[in-house]
Amino acid sequence: MALAAPGRRPGEPRRVAYLYILPALLVFGLFVLVPLARTAQFSLYEWNGLGASTWAGLSNYRDLFTEPQLRGAFVHALVLVVFYAVVPVLLGLLLAAAMSRAVLRGMGFFRVVLFLPQVIPMVVVAIAWRQIYEPNGPLNDLLRFVGLDSLARPWLGDYTWALPSVGIVGTWVGTGLCLVLFLAGMSRIPRELYEAARLDGAGPLREFRAITLPSLRGELAVALTLTVIAALKTFDLVYVMTSGGPGTETTVPSYQVYNNAFLLGRVGIATALAVVLTLVVFVATVLINRVGERGQR
Amino acid sequence: MTLPIRRTRTALGAVAAIALLFAGCAPGDDGDDTEAGDAPTAGDVATDPSELGDITLTVWDQEVREGQTEQIEALNAAFEEAYPNITIERVARSTDDLRTTLRLALSGDDAPDVVQSNNGRPEMGQYVASGLLTPLDGYAEAYGWFDRFPESVRALASYSEDGANYGEGNLYGLPQMGEIVGLYYNKTKLAALGLEPPQTTEDFEAALQAAQAAGEVPIQFGNSEPWAGIHEFGFIQNQFSDAETIRNLGFGRPGSSWTSDDNVAAAQATRDWVDAGYFVDGFNGVSYDSAWQAFAQGTGVFFVGGTWLVADLTSAMGDEVGFVLPPAGASGQHLVTGGISIPWAIPANSDAKEAAAAYIDFITSSDAMTAVTEAGNLPVIEADQQTTTGLQSEVFAAWAQAGQEDLVVPYLDYATETFYDTITVAVQNLMAGQSDPQQFLETLEAEYTAATGS
Amino acid sequence: MISRGERLANYAVLALFAVIAVYPVLLILQTALSNDQIGGGGSFHVENFADAWDQGHFGSYLRTSVVVAILVVGLSTLFSVLAGYAFGTMRFRGSEVLFYVILLGIMVPAEALVIALYFDLRELGLTNTLVAIVMPQVAQSTAFGTFWMRAYFRGSSREVVEAARIDGAGHWTTLWRILVPMGRPALTTMIVLVFMWTWNEFLIPLIMATDESLRTAPLGLAFFQGQYTSGTALLAAGATLVALPVIVLYLFLQRHFIRGMVEGAVK
Repeated sequence: MALAAPGRRPGEPRRVAYLYILPALLVFGLFVLVPLARTAQFSLYEWNGLGASTWAGLSNYRDLFTEPQLRGAFVHALVLVVFYAVVPVLLGLLLAAAMSRAVLRGMGFFRVVLFLPQVIPMVVVAIAWRQIYEPNGPLNDLLRFVGLDSLARPWLGDYTWALPSVGIVGTWVGTGLCLVLFLAGMSRIPRELYEAARLDGAGPLREFRAITLPSLRGELAVALTLTVIAALKTFDLVYVMTSGGPGTETTVPSYQVYNNAFLLGRVGIATALAVVLTLVVFVATVLINRVGERGQR
Repeated sequence: MTLPIRRTRTALGAVAAIALLFAGCAPGDDGDDTEAGDAPTAGDVATDPSELGDITLTVWDQEVREGQTEQIEALNAAFEEAYPNITIERVARSTDDLRTTLRLALSGDDAPDVVQSNNGRPEMGQYVASGLLTPLDGYAEAYGWFDRFPESVRALASYSEDGANYGEGNLYGLPQMGEIVGLYYNKTKLAALGLEPPQTTEDFEAALQAAQAAGEVPIQFGNSEPWAGIHEFGFIQNQFSDAETIRNLGFGRPGSSWTSDDNVAAAQATRDWVDAGYFVDGFNGVSYDSAWQAFAQGTGVFFVGGTWLVADLTSAMGDEVGFVLPPAGASGQHLVTGGISIPWAIPANSDAKEAAAAYIDFITSSDAMTAVTEAGNLPVIEADQQTTTGLQSEVFAAWAQAGQEDLVVPYLDYATETFYDTITVAVQNLMAGQSDPQQFLETLEAEYTAATGS
Repeated sequence: MISRGERLANYAVLALFAVIAVYPVLLILQTALSNDQIGGGGSFHVENFADAWDQGHFGSYLRTSVVVAILVVGLSTLFSVLAGYAFGTMRFRGSEVLFYVILLGIMVPAEALVIALYFDLRELGLTNTLVAIVMPQVAQSTAFGTFWMRAYFRGSSREVVEAARIDGAGHWTTLWRILVPMGRPALTTMIVLVFMWTWNEFLIPLIMATDESLRTAPLGLAFFQGQYTSGTALLAAGATLVALPVIVLYLFLQRHFIRGMVEGAVK
């Protein structure tokens, strides 16, 4: 590689920059941009993945709204957002707020443990929770032990409870992350703010609303972005835990994408689903970060 | 991370520009179809695998249960010993995992050489229509499979070349085992109730009531992998409909209706039995394997199951388990769902088809049928020439009777390319009370009429 | 200061959540060590791991996972450092637009890429190869890595760079001799995250390769679950084997994992 002309200051225009970004752009173009464009294109065709395709216009997108099973997948994804994102963030905030007044020792240890669910492969998580939800598994044992026999049920086979049961796993994965994030954020809030507020006679609630919450905007945006995207993209968990069942109670967009593309031979529908899913992820990310940005000003 | 939003618009514009570059190239129409045109004629087939040179044969099977693993491992070893130039690379999967990954594997350039592909339209029919499987007729002639396998067996794995007609045309696979979904019963428990194995639906319902009154679980059942529901509903339908109707519906042939009175009665009976508590609690959340294991350990008087469980149940229960054909109902016959185990087929993209055919020949030979039997299974042919005891002999007797009296009716998911998804979900919904019998049947009828045009 | 009671309550809540967080992990471990025979006794059956290793072919799956992880981490780190350096320290026409195009890539879910990519690669005869499994992940990780390294290079000390320049170092030397060694913490965090994502990835290897020798560990585990029909001990042992590399790495480098996620690694 050629050396730069001596005496240039950093930040000056440099052509050599193009060489530096070339590999990244190349691989990114070939394996992200091109496939993305092709996905959008495929979604306008009717194609079984083999043989010839026929132009279908927007009919695949219409099917997304008219076929109850496909529409259902998006509804389920929204339910999962509650479990993956809303509940962990609220729980995380509540716990962090409760602890904001104290300087606790041993936080390092708790941080490591609470964060653990984030790093375990989803397939392993799914296998562990499947076992927990077994008809004679630990969860039902616990319920029976405390005398709540009537609540014991085959969680993943129950039409009402299967989706929440999958969602709870998301809550389990996300809560530690949120708590760790918020605790880190709070440790950066100057103690004096709280002391000043207390001198003004502020109670815990006002303290939270006036100091804690505004200071955590950035962390909230990160937590929501991570957890909402995780919810919308759920695949492994459903693939391993329920395969979408019972009935179609736990199908999610990603699962339908795979099912339609590679089992049912409906590539057009699958790609249309993928396009809509992508748009939903974009919009969610943008909205969340707008709110986060506004808070920082 | 906070994303600066305004800029993303420019970026989106750039992406759109790149996308435009690719317009005009529609998916999949550049005529690179690997039509299964290289099907051999009998004269070309080299039937001596030792002359084929060094070959690695990739085989995808679903022989993961006790008896099945044993027989296929034994046969693979024997094959490799007989033909040292061929190495078998076995990939074993559950039936479900095979189903969800096979289509991807078949359409790839280096497909496996031998696969087990479910013979109904959702799998084999679709693959034939897409030219993904090799017609075996040339090999069949060379190896004498037409003599080895009766028409009734071959028809279950035969399709017209475009995949449209099932039961005729080219041969696309050979099964190793026979398969019927009958009624396993716990001998000790049934005797304790003072009952004989049920012969009629009335007997059966009386037995269910008696079992329940005695505090037993009448029917052990696990439907979290929803294919079990096809068997359970088929078992009930067999007692309310006649063979002709079920065959039309199962093979996706015009001429019958899902909403006919007999099917209404079958769907209603299914609901009633659920409501009466004849099935184990929470069956939709119980896996198939937990269910038969629970039955083996003494929970449940009856278990509706296929003959693929014979080896597993024999080793778990010994003499305590019996097997009979489904009770005779409206038709007066012991109609039974089944036919053949998942047949072995050769992908169109295999690069070792001759060795693959030799392998299939080997694992379906007379010696193989004996090996199949010895491992505790039901061979698809020559069952009458084997010696068996215990549960296995009861199964063989039922199989022989089903053959002689023409009692076998097809699996219901064979009907259309998407019927597997449709009926598994529909049965789960029906049995969980999410839909009533009428809705259940209308769902099935809609897809059946759309496919058959009747 | 807060009262003793409040402090205790805080610890109690933390402990409760910590127990919930580790319970499934411990459950898997305990199951993995239990007797594989239905109804059998004993509670320390270490041989389950060896049995699972054999029966589930985890040797082959883990080997593939290691190869894939090394390739993805290696390539995406190299590309990210180069691109991040340019975006972070140089001014050039189109840099903003290009950077935001790459940023979009962080948000695109893999579902939107893999189907079309699979069919196009199949046309080229590239499915069932390492390329098909590795490159899509390299591309997505490079998007994140470029974002991450750009932030580091932007924040890197101007004085150091200037000093290097006065000593006559060119931009290439400055990058590899000075900035990269100085940026070890940032690099480690990125590598750790990319490794974790690659190791845990399920959808891309599920679709891109059907060859048994190219199956990665999470896939192998999912298949083992269906294939292995009696008992749960070996399945749990297999799950432990698959999770172990990530968990060990996490225990050693936990600060990097947490920092990476906390500072906004979106994947």
